[in-house]
Amino acid sequence: MDKVGIVGYYQVQPSLNLNMGRYEMIFNTVRGALDSVGLKRKDVTSVVSATNDYYDGRTISNCFTVEAGGAYLKDESKVEMDGAYAVYYGLLRALSGHHKLVLVWGGSMPSCFPYSSSTLLSTDPTFERPLEIINDLTAGGLQMRAYMNKFDVPAEDIAQVAVKNHKNAAKNTSSLPESRMPDISTETVLNSDVLSSPVTELMYSQPCDAAACILLAPEQQALKIRDDPVWITGVGYSQETYYLGDRDLSRSQSMQDAAQMAFRMAGVKDAKKEIDVAELYEHFSHEELIFAEALGFCDPGQGPSLSTEISGGIPINPSGGGMSGNAPCATGIIRLIEAIKQITGEAKGYQVKDVQRAIASGQNGFCAQTNMLFVLEGGSK
Amino acid sequence: MVRLEYIKKEYEKTRQMPGKWYLTSCRYKFNITRFQPFLSALKEKRLIGLKCRSCNTVSFPPKLVCGKCLTRPDQWVSLRETGIVATFTANYMKDETTGEANAFPVIAVRQDGADTTYLTQLNPKVKFEDVYVGMPVKIKWKDNTEGNLNDIDYYDCIDDPTQKMDSLTK
Repeated sequence: MDKVGIVGYYQVQPSLNLNMGRYEMIFNTVRGALDSVGLKRKDVTSVVSATNDYYDGRTISNCFTVEAGGAYLKDESKVEMDGAYAVYYGLLRALSGHHKLVLVWGGSMPSCFPYSSSTLLSTDPTFERPLEIINDLTAGGLQMRAYMNKFDVPAEDIAQVAVKNHKNAAKNTSSLPESRMPDISTETVLNSDVLSSPVTELMYSQPCDAAACILLAPEQQALKIRDDPVWITGVGYSQETYYLGDRDLSRSQSMQDAAQMAFRMAGVKDAKKEIDVAELYEHFSHEELIFAEALGFCDPGQGPSLSTEISGGIPINPSGGGMSGNAPCATGIIRLIEAIKQITGEAKGYQVKDVQRAIASGQNGFCAQTNMLFVLEGGSK
Repeated sequence: MVRLEYIKKEYEKTRQMPGKWYLTSCRYKFNITRFQPFLSALKEKRLIGLKCRSCNTVSFPPKLVCGKCLTRPDQWVSLRETGIVATFTANYMKDETTGEANAFPVIAVRQDGADTTYLTQLNPKVKFEDVYVGMPVKIKWKDNTEGNLNDIDYYDCIDDPTQKMDSLTK
């Protein structure tokens, strides 16, 4: 694969109730990304956005973001999934040879709509919806129970992941302020409100308002814009069955397939040795363990024994991951931005030492039905 | 003046549309003909699943398409009324009189003879604390079956032979 460079990025500070409108939030994000490398709107040749009609409360929601999203008289189109999928389509456009600079943005405002209620509308209308018992939270509960039971993992081990991520979020200045908990303990996590047994409130990535934007350019163009772009060297994408009952919830086959595809493309043979840091989009704490196992960092069921702290053997989510604020449609892009920060050494306070190669993931659907994985590398060429 | 006359002209046919539309009012079409054997069986208080001839996966609830083989499974196989709990969680409902939030178990049942699980509810009288993975359950039918999935009232727990053996060995 030809290389595509990420030349600029910007992220709006997440908040539970952002003090601006959607239009303004998107403008700030897109303008911020262009300003981060001193480019103008006329340099952008293509735009891909990630929003959702249900989250926006209007059909064809990208028609109102044309001006704020920098898409006026450009070939803009929308992905109604996580931002990571918008990055994937932006990557394809950059690789097509027709575009010099692709702008990708995604974001939403859960303070304006009931997030968990909106997930009811993604359930199966024949088998699940008439019962009114399944939404994203109960699906997470089923998944955590299946994982705990299959591998005899105690709830304390999963709470430990939440503790690590909330502590990391406290070091990250671009995390959701409510998620920063430097003094959190496993007891606090286990004793917080139960969302859907055994998932508790602090094991759940809280939906928040935010938007994020990155700029992609093909190799030669990227080197003209800056000396040290971060390169996308591998990408993988896979999805599982829609109906929850058809899946083995204790593992993630789609992440395993996505990782195989991305690692083969990037020439990674031993993930554990060759990946320096991982930024994974986990909706619930237990998903981080399931993903770590699917990525080949350890054998199935051995996730809790991994050393994933910032100074550990394989640091996972030094920024806090999904726990540091989950902005629907933007979290995948934010994970990419955090991985870029680790490579360029901009992650002040939560920097992992000597990062050459990082991975970032995005997910969509109940219990991470689809997964997207990017392999990012530093170095001028 | 000519224009005004044109606007005032009475139209014979106009179109009306409601100013509001509720998201959940969407309708979904479903191939009931291909599903008829399943619904008829439910009416007779029997369970059947669909078996894919290519990969031998038996799905319950039946799926119109096998995603693995991209085929239309067409072999109906009989299933038992019993199954085991593959995984579970809880829904919390507020008691309107006392204001207490009660936990109701939500379970994924692997029906004996099927390869996939069905997300459903357990007998509301069963305490959430007593549910465990691997618990044997049995269907409780409604008295008057109508030939749809609501005919399954809930799943009830039955005696667990493995638990009894445990107590005997102790």
